[in-house]
Amino acid sequence: MITQMNVRGLLFDPYNNAYIVILRDEQNSDMLPIWVGKSEASAISFALESITPPRPMTHDLMKSILDNVDAKVLSAVVTDLKDNTYFAKIHLWYGDSEYSIDSRPSDAIALALRTEAPIFTTEEVLRKQNSEELERWLENLKPEDFGKLDT
Amino acid sequence: MSVEQNTDLIPLKVHGVLVDPNTDTQIVVLRDETNTDVLPIWVGTAEGASIRLAMEGLVPPRPMSHDLITSLTNHLGMTITHIVVTDVKNNTYYATIHLTSKGIERTVDARPSDAIALALRAKSPIFVTHDVLKRRGGENLEAWLAKLDPQQF
Repeated sequence: MITQMNVRGLLFDPYNNAYIVILRDEQNSDMLPIWVGKSEASAISFALESITPPRPMTHDLMKSILDNVDAKVLSAVVTDLKDNTYFAKIHLWYGDSEYSIDSRPSDAIALALRTEAPIFTTEEVLRKQNSEELERWLENLKPEDFGKLDT
Repeated sequence: MSVEQNTDLIPLKVHGVLVDPNTDTQIVVLRDETNTDVLPIWVGTAEGASIRLAMEGLVPPRPMSHDLITSLTNHLGMTITHIVVTDVKNNTYYATIHLTSKGIERTVDARPSDAIALALRAKSPIFVTHDVLKRRGGENLEAWLAKLDPQQF
């Protein structure tokens, strides 16, 4: 099963000096936070705010190359989560065939936003995200926090 | 491309990527084959890092943006034949990426940083027009380069 996700925003994470792209499903019940680098975050924010820079940025170039040969981005899919690293695939239509290409989610999202292609993830990834989040939360608990449960 | 059109183009090699301590940007230094002409191009941190990775032939565990473009073009059967630094206006350099797809040559407008990052990955030649090389940088360039720490090269 795959679920369509929307980009809900971009947050700055001061602890890791990185940015977090927030993807949410349509019912707002599931969320994927994806940590990205500074240049990928700016590529995503330009697309979210529909800003066209005077010179093509890297993802504008990516789109321009695909447009030039009439290749169409069908979708971006966040396919896996392993050791806190998300994996994605870009699905393309070119000629009369479909291609799927391995990508970081940040690049896949930056390209999908520019080409108005839908972004999906799998239930498996959402489930893993929920369990990794729970583990992180448990790891951050101090013994005192447990004590509070009794009172 | 015919030989006639090529006469105005000068082949360049990427000599190195320097950090400009004054502006926190990076400088890609291109040189011609006889080492007589230098073309320094200021690029962003991410683009500089990407060019450096390609020069060292390093393949990161996950594809960086230029690795992804290389992968896209390879999957779709496109070849980057060469890139050309075509113009400089108000200190901004312009480039074109020349691709062939299904036997048809296409050109795509790009920043030189992206074009160079892709050319290195595709092992495609880098050219500059004679005109741009003449107009580059200005007279203080050699003095400026001489001041840079040689170890950075």
